[in-house]
Amino acid sequence: MRTPPFVKKEMMIRKGKFWKTESTFAYLLLLPATVFLIVFMFYPIFSVILMSFFQVNRLGQLMAFDPLGNYRFLAGRPDFWQIIIRTCVWTALSVSVKTAIGLIIALLLNIKFTGRKLARTLVIIPWASSVPISAMMWQWTYNADFGLLNHTLRVLGISDPPIWLAFPRTAFLANIWVDIWCGIPFMALVFLAGLQAIPQELYEAAEVDGATSWLKFRYVTMPLLSGIMIVATLLSTLWTFNSFNIIWILTMGGPAGTTDILVTHIYRYSFLYQRWGPAAAMAVITFMMLLTVSIAYARRYFREGAA
Amino acid sequence: MKKIALLCAVILVCVLSVSGLVSAQTRVRVMWAEYDGLTPDYAVNLEQAFEAAHPDIDLEIISTPWPEFFDRLITFVVGGQAPDLSVIGTRWLLDLMEMGVVEPIAQWVSDETLANIDPALREGTIGGVLYGLPVAAGTRLLYYRSDIVERAPETFEEMLDMALKVHNPEERINAVGMSGMLYPELTEHAYYLFGNDGYYFEILPDGTYGRSTVNDEAGLEAMQFMNDLVNTHQVTQPGVTAYSRDELQDLFAAGNLVFFMSGGFTSAILEARDVPFEWSVAPLPHFEGKPQSSLIVTDSMVMFNTSLAKEEAGKFLDFFYSDPWRLEFDKLVGFPPVTKSLADEPYFQTPVYRVMVEQIPGAKGWPLMEEWPEANDIIWDNISAIFLGIKTPEQGMNDAAAEIDALRGM
Repeated sequence: MRTPPFVKKEMMIRKGKFWKTESTFAYLLLLPATVFLIVFMFYPIFSVILMSFFQVNRLGQLMAFDPLGNYRFLAGRPDFWQIIIRTCVWTALSVSVKTAIGLIIALLLNIKFTGRKLARTLVIIPWASSVPISAMMWQWTYNADFGLLNHTLRVLGISDPPIWLAFPRTAFLANIWVDIWCGIPFMALVFLAGLQAIPQELYEAAEVDGATSWLKFRYVTMPLLSGIMIVATLLSTLWTFNSFNIIWILTMGGPAGTTDILVTHIYRYSFLYQRWGPAAAMAVITFMMLLTVSIAYARRYFREGAA
Repeated sequence: MKKIALLCAVILVCVLSVSGLVSAQTRVRVMWAEYDGLTPDYAVNLEQAFEAAHPDIDLEIISTPWPEFFDRLITFVVGGQAPDLSVIGTRWLLDLMEMGVVEPIAQWVSDETLANIDPALREGTIGGVLYGLPVAAGTRLLYYRSDIVERAPETFEEMLDMALKVHNPEERINAVGMSGMLYPELTEHAYYLFGNDGYYFEILPDGTYGRSTVNDEAGLEAMQFMNDLVNTHQVTQPGVTAYSRDELQDLFAAGNLVFFMSGGFTSAILEARDVPFEWSVAPLPHFEGKPQSSLIVTDSMVMFNTSLAKEEAGKFLDFFYSDPWRLEFDKLVGFPPVTKSLADEPYFQTPVYRVMVEQIPGAKGWPLMEEWPEANDIIWDNISAIFLGIKTPEQGMNDAAAEIDALRGM
């Protein structure tokens, strides 16, 4: 009987004839993926970090080494600090509301009722449609003259409904709502998956102990859902912080810059103004902020896991 | 056998002579934009006709869709394969200048061709040197409902008087459409600023740009007037900061505006929608005692300094800018003519074309400077702040001018 080729190869590895050690062979197998990661992920990050320490011309070529020039420029702009604060408010508001609504929807969809499958399917729709298309749909919905929202309000007797995108506060909230609307399905589905993984016996045991619905939620559901909640909110935080399409389509950062967040500002500086140096510095700041948040979330996640 | 050898020799001589003829030709490569309406036949016919008129020149027209035009052109240039000529969005000239690849064009075209192009259309001029000939251009117009007002206002003051009479929010008739939403082009402000004989920058004697003048007398008056329309007289649609140009266009098409300023493209939309009211067009109004002036936006044709056939490329430009070829081109792309000699053509005697052509001599283009996109946003943000009551017109324009000057290191 002939020895299959892979067995031969294994034997050769063990004997050290084909490759010197087994681990060398393993590293070689990892090589393509490593090269891919270096070329397509780490090199761009390195390149942006490098760019942030240089003066860069309009064509993106590095000119003079100026390690803090771009950062000093940003720090000297009062609107930059406002943009950072606004980005944090945008992210915190959007993620917390998405989490709350997503959890409520997941709890409702976890109850057995007729048409549950249809309801679960319908919840996915905002997630299934692309974000730019959703943003454009909401742009029409918010239209002061012909939009569905104001039309509905007029039908309900509100003769002078707000012009949503005209004023700083309503425009900011209108943008946040669209981001929430787009993000709810993800939260709901992830939480639903988490809920379904909780053993039913725990609820039955709690009932035997006389626990109310609230106590079951507080002491059974929430602790067992916390792991998945940390992952979902971390992902949602990263996406929301970097959410570009909605604001760019609805208000382009206006009126008077009151809906501008870091990512729209980076786009403005890089692709519209071609000021690559400050844009790279902003990208590095964004990266560091998100890295800090991710590390904090990860530590919390592993602590939860350890507990 | 001898016959075969003789035949081979004849063929060889023919081939060599033909190849010699080919090598004697000078090649001119032109990057050509596929504008809407421009047919492939046009480029083929142009190429053939030019080659027939100039047998010593081999013309190669490289047709490229507009969305990928810039990337493709830059790839050619960076790769050392720059064409001899190329259509560009005039603003790209700044990038090409930075790369140091553009040739001053005036010396390579005939005086007749140059004289046939109105100076107002020479947007591709930097520091007083002409680098681009206009390929396509459009001035802006005042659209008005001729069923509500009998005639178009000539001045902004007149427009305000009319607006106060016809503004009727209960009937959803807003007198003046005003765009206040952040947009890549500061068009709305330009209409009022240019109409008050103002401009965004001081033009220095050498043709370069000096300090920002958005807060000079003309700039402040224009801004004050815009703010009065919005906040004092309230004759615009409410919530102007929510309206982009496209939304204003929809509002006019729905019959909710009486006066609205836009480009020639709006007329095509109004015709396509067959709007149920009468409308007409007129030159943009100006302020009393000030010259009429419209905004003009152009695309240009540039020559590259790496070209080995500049003289031949210049001959192509003279050919392309001759009446028969420009007329067909303008008809296909739907822009008004860029050459003076075609202004009286019967085809361009519709009201929209007539008004667009009529405004060319006094028209002004956007400042051609690399900081302009950022300056544009600075002005927009301050205008929005003024409309929202966060700043006074004076504060807003002073802040804008100071920020723009600081940006330019002044």
